[in-house]
Amino acid sequence: MTEIPTTETDIQAKIDVTGTALVETFPRTGLTSESEYIDIIELPAKPANTVPAGDVLVPTLADPYPYDLFSHQATALDALGAGDNVTVTTSTSSGKTHIYGLQIARNLLEADVLNPDGTRAKDATTASTALCVYPTKALTKDQHEALEELYDQLGLDVRVRVYDGDTTGDRRAIREGADVILTNFAGLNVYLEHHDRWSRFYSGLDLVAVDESHTYTGVEGMHVAWILRRLHRVVDYWGGTPQYVLTSATIGNPRVHSETLLNAPVTVVDEDGSPHGRRDLVFWNPPPRAKAENETGDPASALEGETDTDERAVTERVPASVEAPRIFDHLTARSVRTLLFCPSRKLTELSVQRAADHRRSTPRASGRSSSGDYAAYNAGLGRRTRHAREHQFKTGALTGLATTSALELGIDIGSLDATILMGYPGQRQAFWQRIGRAGRGASRSLAVMVGDHRTLDQYVMNNPEYVLETDVEDAVVDISNNAVFASHVLCAADEIALDEADIDTFADEERLRAATKMWREAGFVDGYLQGAVHYSGPRRPQTRVNLYGTTDIDYQLRLADGVDRERWGLPDELDLEPVDRNRAYRDYHEGAVRLQHGQQFEVVTVDEDRPQPVIELEPVDRPYYTRTRNKVTVLDATSERSREINGFTLHFGRGTVFVHHHAYDEMYIGNSEPKRQLIPTNTPPILMDTQLCWLEVPEEIEAALIRKYREYGVETGVGQEQSGVAHLGYIAGLHAAEHATIQTAPLELRVDKNDLGGLATLVMDTHYAHPEHDDLADSIGDSFEAARAVLERRSRELGEQTASGWFIYDGVDGGLGFARAIYEQFEALAERARDQLRDCQCGQPNGCPACTFDENCGNDNKPLLRASAVDVLEQLLGEADRDDLEAYLPDEYGGERRPTLFYS
Amino acid sequence: MAVADSLALLTLPSTTLEELPQPAVRDALQYFERDLITIPGPRNPVAYAAVRDGAPNRPIVHPQLGHGGDPINHYRYSDGGVREAGDQDLPPKTIDVIAVQRADVLARLETQLSTGERRTGSEGATFLIVPQLTVEWDTTALSSTLPNADELAAISSVLPEPMTVLAGGQPATYAHEWGLSHDGSTVRVPVAGLGATDRDESKIAQCTCTQHGNVGAEAVDADQFGLRALHGVGRSTADQLRKHGCQTTRDVRDLSVSELTERPGIGRTTAEKIHAHAAVIDSSEPLVLTNKTPVKTCDGRPPLCLDIETDGLTPTIIWQIGVYDPATDSHQAFIEKTNPTDPAPVLEAFITWLLANHRDRTLLTWNGHRFDYRYIRQFLDRYHPEYVEAWDGLWTYDLYRWAVRDGNALLPGRTNKLDHVARATGYESGDTALTGAQTAAAYQRFMRNPKDPASEPDWERHRAYCEDDCRALWYVYRTVMEAPRRDMTDSGAGGADGQQAGLTDF
Repeated sequence: MTEIPTTETDIQAKIDVTGTALVETFPRTGLTSESEYIDIIELPAKPANTVPAGDVLVPTLADPYPYDLFSHQATALDALGAGDNVTVTTSTSSGKTHIYGLQIARNLLEADVLNPDGTRAKDATTASTALCVYPTKALTKDQHEALEELYDQLGLDVRVRVYDGDTTGDRRAIREGADVILTNFAGLNVYLEHHDRWSRFYSGLDLVAVDESHTYTGVEGMHVAWILRRLHRVVDYWGGTPQYVLTSATIGNPRVHSETLLNAPVTVVDEDGSPHGRRDLVFWNPPPRAKAENETGDPASALEGETDTDERAVTERVPASVEAPRIFDHLTARSVRTLLFCPSRKLTELSVQRAADHRRSTPRASGRSSSGDYAAYNAGLGRRTRHAREHQFKTGALTGLATTSALELGIDIGSLDATILMGYPGQRQAFWQRIGRAGRGASRSLAVMVGDHRTLDQYVMNNPEYVLETDVEDAVVDISNNAVFASHVLCAADEIALDEADIDTFADEERLRAATKMWREAGFVDGYLQGAVHYSGPRRPQTRVNLYGTTDIDYQLRLADGVDRERWGLPDELDLEPVDRNRAYRDYHEGAVRLQHGQQFEVVTVDEDRPQPVIELEPVDRPYYTRTRNKVTVLDATSERSREINGFTLHFGRGTVFVHHHAYDEMYIGNSEPKRQLIPTNTPPILMDTQLCWLEVPEEIEAALIRKYREYGVETGVGQEQSGVAHLGYIAGLHAAEHATIQTAPLELRVDKNDLGGLATLVMDTHYAHPEHDDLADSIGDSFEAARAVLERRSRELGEQTASGWFIYDGVDGGLGFARAIYEQFEALAERARDQLRDCQCGQPNGCPACTFDENCGNDNKPLLRASAVDVLEQLLGEADRDDLEAYLPDEYGGERRPTLFYS
Repeated sequence: MAVADSLALLTLPSTTLEELPQPAVRDALQYFERDLITIPGPRNPVAYAAVRDGAPNRPIVHPQLGHGGDPINHYRYSDGGVREAGDQDLPPKTIDVIAVQRADVLARLETQLSTGERRTGSEGATFLIVPQLTVEWDTTALSSTLPNADELAAISSVLPEPMTVLAGGQPATYAHEWGLSHDGSTVRVPVAGLGATDRDESKIAQCTCTQHGNVGAEAVDADQFGLRALHGVGRSTADQLRKHGCQTTRDVRDLSVSELTERPGIGRTTAEKIHAHAAVIDSSEPLVLTNKTPVKTCDGRPPLCLDIETDGLTPTIIWQIGVYDPATDSHQAFIEKTNPTDPAPVLEAFITWLLANHRDRTLLTWNGHRFDYRYIRQFLDRYHPEYVEAWDGLWTYDLYRWAVRDGNALLPGRTNKLDHVARATGYESGDTALTGAQTAAAYQRFMRNPKDPASEPDWERHRAYCEDDCRALWYVYRTVMEAPRRDMTDSGAGGADGQQAGLTDF
């Protein structure tokens, strides 16, 4: 083939926005769209499905409205018109704001607040008001502008006001005069205290809009569910009868999720009528790591020879943080307007540097000057810089922005052609939200997802069709956490005395009576539901609701005194959410070195001797990171529900999880080799009453697999001295299966895997509560050794009368509902876990970070075994023939005594 | 304010005493009535010594110390005095106070009481002090536990007279009647707090223990005693003052303002305020700091003094509205005595009477902007919206807001509660032996069983309580009106010669 000389114009010419064009032009020898690590999915364009606005809206609104309505907007407005609560779950930028915006306008016209010509008929009325609640203050501002713009277009004099922590000026005038108030849940939680000041607003409240409702899961979700119930009581008191409209990204369970948040039925609108252009999805797995390439991504060495590595045993790959900036540079150099989504602020800056390095080292591109420029964008930059970069991108002065999730929502930067994701963002919803930024309307777009060498990423790389599956993740929200409930009972009683009318409308009778009795006996309320229950504790219980945790104690993260912010380039606000005790002990013990927003921090002090504990961080530049070791066991588990799956028994219930983050290791960043090990953390153990899900393996499968894997020793990753432990090959499989089911949980559920923990055990029954025993958690005090001793004694008593299996628990006091959701979705999770364990290309019996390893493992990721884990999961799924195990079944069970083994 | 046939128990938690300098302890001991003093909380010999030193002639209960070898202390109140209980000539109508050293002594106490080895007055009341008793609760299980419930129930069922447990680990505002099971039946055991608390506050409380077994607590923040009682004196300023020989508020009064400003960290404005407040506390006479008046009236007639009673701090009903008219020295009460679930009638009776007869009068309350006015308006808004506009047109004033929140006057009380301020300025109260919490609780009982005669409140007593508050308000108002206006000169002598300087010059 003749080399065609390239010209200046040629280089700058915009390439096609397609996956094939990207792969063909990318400067890497041997790279084609058939390469092992590239997958391209072409998504066809979808036309808009619209309805004339006049079919749905009165002429006053339809005439000035400049567009047709998308079909889902029309359906939602019809349902609202019929008096329903509505959940709209459609794609990004499908015009969800206009649904409630138009409904508000309809209400104001019907209530004669507005004249048919759009002018005001009434001032500060109680006739019709609306409340819109957003997850962040930034989004509130953005949506404020969107609503103002809509009402400008419609020529309506609607008073839309933001009321939150940033509101300055006359708050009273807003409460007493606005038609529409925009706020967030943390604010609302506090504003409910003085609801009498809002009587005008609440008595006319016709609509409550909850925007981005899919974000309310886990701890935050349960708080939001209770705040909405409290809001409902207060509005009801003042005579308001609002409808609710929830707008959500696509989730798997919009009805259940919305109805749990609201405690009321909803109509779900999920037929998306908005259009999109043709879109190419490129799944780009970086090549196996060449020896010479290091973290800093020296591109010179990375350019050649990467595909020569033996593909059957890939234990390490070029990190996405190195590979993605190269693609970013490549696209922007060819005038493709691109966003690169990075997981941290620091990485946005680093990416720009690495992209520039790539440009210099790419021979064909040298000599060019200003075209295809890019810059970093993140919340740590000053407001002025951010606005400047938004403007430069919009006007074309910049072709690329390397950004954090800050640009995921809302902010207008004009149209763009391509998005690159540095690593899988953890949720399908976030994946679509980010790539949805490119290709406005019907124009064509490209999305490149660069995988990291982690379980989730590699699962998606191996199974790219996963992102197209329609049964997207369930959003998990659970209101059964009693500690959270109890804190909102105090708030509710402070707002309006609780009485029997609150049974079922606020909470079910048994719980409400138990909670009011407890608080009465403890001295925080007085009175009875039969009369009225009044709050009588320290003032303002609302301020003690901790939206980030289940107890009222959380740990604030702060910069240590005397840190030179300038020198480290740190923003004024560290912007770190507080953490609960379990996370604090695990991740922020003294001496811990953590990466936050791309900057290393060391924990210098933990001050717990105050009502609000504080953790002080100092920016550092260490050659190592730290990893915490823990001792975990489960005590007094009580099953509340159980079901059979192919002979296995799956349980959901409650119990006590004992966690001691007793020591930590310092690990070199480059090679993850230990620098120092088992340094004591000096933190006490934690006992959590929480929710658990667990699986019991049937006896004959256990017996067969124990025999099948009895020869396994050092292959499981343990040292020589432990390689002779009985049943090692089998328990290593349970341990690996436990890790894999937790790691892949985010593929099915909107959960944070850091809030989940697990325990694989050979002596399942010893962890159960027994009617003839007292609860163990009460007797062992602070000692893991005492707990182990009791479990060993029980194990001796039980002999072989115990099952084996693994637990998955919510790592938060009282639980989050995650374990319950996992109980309900266990087969789907097990299938994902099995696929990843089976298909991982690491070639290691004990696996690698892309299949079996868990960064939160308390046992140093040992022992682990993929093969026995796959066997257990296939038996569970009914996909392996049980007869295959016959050969391994011993003539009679027994043999080697069962050791009391469990691994977290 | 000892009520007849009741015992004044002063409680000084040992954790509170630990933080308190000796002059402040003395100040507190002088401020409260005290027949008997108790030190709940952890064992603390220094705390005991501090109280012993400040009140040498009073019995002090701190059994945790273990002195004298007996883990049970027993005091008896009869004929107006408290003495250690002996078994000779026991009259039936006594108030017995028994304190145990530790909870595990309770079983022994029960044996002593059931065998007759230890006796109590069978027609009075017995109070049992358990110095470290703390209610425990578990929000995950939604349950609470009273430790030693079995022993407490057993003791209560042995005694013929009412027995109340005084829990050292509960705040002074705590009062709950526990239903405890004993021998297959339920024993009602009232438990009241003695003020030791870990809820970030440290309090000193006077508990009025009646012959019927009731406890009324008056709790005051510990930092209202000694130098920190003075406005503008925090921990560090108090330390500064003590370093320079000022131990008491009287010592501060005896200094001049310029002497005060010589101390590091005390500016002129602060010094003036500290000094003035020291004089106010010493003389029990309010001091007005500005030229403003608390109330405007349209025709020179005095304001109507208003007070409401509700069923709790988040009212479902305003069941009593009392209005005292100083012009005629008459009191009008509106009380809902029949249907506690309907807040409308009593409200309507009040508002129609007010608008018909007194629409040209000014209204005065104590903290009304946060409570009385707020809830009257909220209830009108909800139940009689037709009167809201007329209500909004009335002239309403709040003496508490004027004096304390707006800083127009210094008051001599240790708290800003009306009854404390009234008492400090010399008001003789009408002895209803009720507190706001008790009157609310009485109405709550009525709300639960409005048809049961046993739960019907003593209406006259509650009416008198409310009237007393209205009259106390009038008394404080008059005292403020007659109080000296601030002398803004630097003499420090506390005279009033009308020269303007200092605070109002800004």
